Amino acid sequence: MGVLEGLAFIGDAIVTYPLIEVRNVSLAYVMNRDRAGTFKEFTFQLLKRQVTAERFLAVDNVSFEVHRGETVALIGRNGAGKTTLMKVVARVLPPTSGRVIVRGRVAPMIALGAGFNHELNAIENIVLFGTLLGREPDEMRERAAEIGEWAELTEFMDVPIRSFSSGMLARLGFAVAADVDPDVMVVDEVLSVGDESFQQKSFERMQSLMKGGTAVLLVSHALDKVLQMADRVIWIDHGKVMADGDPEEVVDAYRDAVRRP
Amino acid sequence: MTDVADLPVYDSDQIRTPLVSELRNFWVFRRLIRLLVARDLTSRYKRSVLGVWWTLLNPLLTAGVMYLVFGVAIGGRFGETDEPYVVYLLAGVLFMTFFGQGMLATASSIAGAKAILSKVYVPAEVFAFATGVSGLVNFGFSLFPLIIAQLLTGTGVPLTALLAPIPVLAMLALVIGAGMLIAAAAVFFFDVLDLTRVFVQLLQYLTPVFYPLSFIPDRFLGVYKLNPLFSYLDNFRNVIYRGEIGPAWQWWYMGGTAVLALVIGVWAFSKAWRSLAMQL
Repeated sequence: MGVLEGLAFIGDAIVTYPLIEVRNVSLAYVMNRDRAGTFKEFTFQLLKRQVTAERFLAVDNVSFEVHRGETVALIGRNGAGKTTLMKVVARVLPPTSGRVIVRGRVAPMIALGAGFNHELNAIENIVLFGTLLGREPDEMRERAAEIGEWAELTEFMDVPIRSFSSGMLARLGFAVAADVDPDVMVVDEVLSVGDESFQQKSFERMQSLMKGGTAVLLVSHALDKVLQMADRVIWIDHGKVMADGDPEEVVDAYRDAVRRP
Repeated sequence: MTDVADLPVYDSDQIRTPLVSELRNFWVFRRLIRLLVARDLTSRYKRSVLGVWWTLLNPLLTAGVMYLVFGVAIGGRFGETDEPYVVYLLAGVLFMTFFGQGMLATASSIAGAKAILSKVYVPAEVFAFATGVSGLVNFGFSLFPLIIAQLLTGTGVPLTALLAPIPVLAMLALVIGAGMLIAAAAVFFFDVLDLTRVFVQLLQYLTPVFYPLSFIPDRFLGVYKLNPLFSYLDNFRNVIYRGEIGPAWQWWYMGGTAVLALVIGVWAFSKAWRSLAMQL
């Protein structure tokens, strides 16, 4: 049980365990070149002995840690494996090999609004999404008004969200996820939610969460934002860690690599 | 903020025990399940004019058409039972609708929750379970017309009707078990759902829903009764309006297949989960 405890005394020093621990994690997708989408096709392919499966390593032996109050950004080209890695940390995908340990309440801010039901109104959705994120329905019912106010949607709270604009949905999603008061936040390209003033507001909210000790793992292509927010940057290419360290250095190295044809 | 020591921990190395993990999840996520059921019911009822009646409309219309075709048009040949044909038919159609629709809805629930499951950690079986339970609630509503028919035809509601929850819950176990098995397959091959639809239809004919059991020649009866759904339906009819318990083997057969279906379904789902997550 040693690993599960947050604090341990080694001599006089207090050792704190990181909130996110990713150790030698690999994730392989099984890709079927002419993937049988239907049982019928599959049967035919089986009869013709055409079932071929290829493994595609989306994440290749990646290790890193994120400590309390630390913000780590993942950068890299499209298809480098960043989002897959986020999903592994968010517990959505089990790693093919290696080990992931995440301590605390996790708020995934990945494609916000995924948990929404378009027939239900905003209040019901706040309760539903909050419960999906692991909170109590009653607790969410009490918080609903405040969350709605924060998302600047007070006058639309009893409207079915099918009539909401995408900006309104994203605001609602961010407001609920941020309200969870998470220990670990997994953020995928949602720094650009809403208009300028709401972006500023959500940025401040994230900053205050970070100061409160939340560990943040974020993915972004907006390198300026990354430099502004991250304490550490990890550059990933073809599923492998290319560099891990000081934001300026890693971002510079990445920019160099991108410029080089 | 709490001490790190008190925080919940996700460790990918923790071994997921098939069956045990799922059953525990049904309990751990009970509030979410209740919410998902409520969500399903509200989005179905609250904002439609006909409300609850929508769910009843399908089985009632089916029963109505069957009554006209088999009970009236073909000279009432199917009606040659000691019991009112309306009650016999309604009990059959409603119970089998619970099976067919419940199983299909459960089977498609995982694919339907794809948007959530690929972003937020929620055990997928929670969605299958919630869908099965909301099928149960729908079936509960559909008991009203049946009871009304029983009262109007003078069949009445016998004391044995108190035992009705047993076949109904057995059916729920079958629905969830079979539904999860199909759900696991449906993530890989989307036509599995279509195949299931055909299969459900076939089962409707292999089970005495609209024709009396006396239509089956005696020499086939043994094989015919191997269809587990026969036991479920006959037990249900026996207790809900006949005022009988019926043969013991039917109860054992029902209970056994219900538990077996649930165990196989959950186990297969658990085994398929890793590759399932990749497909979502």
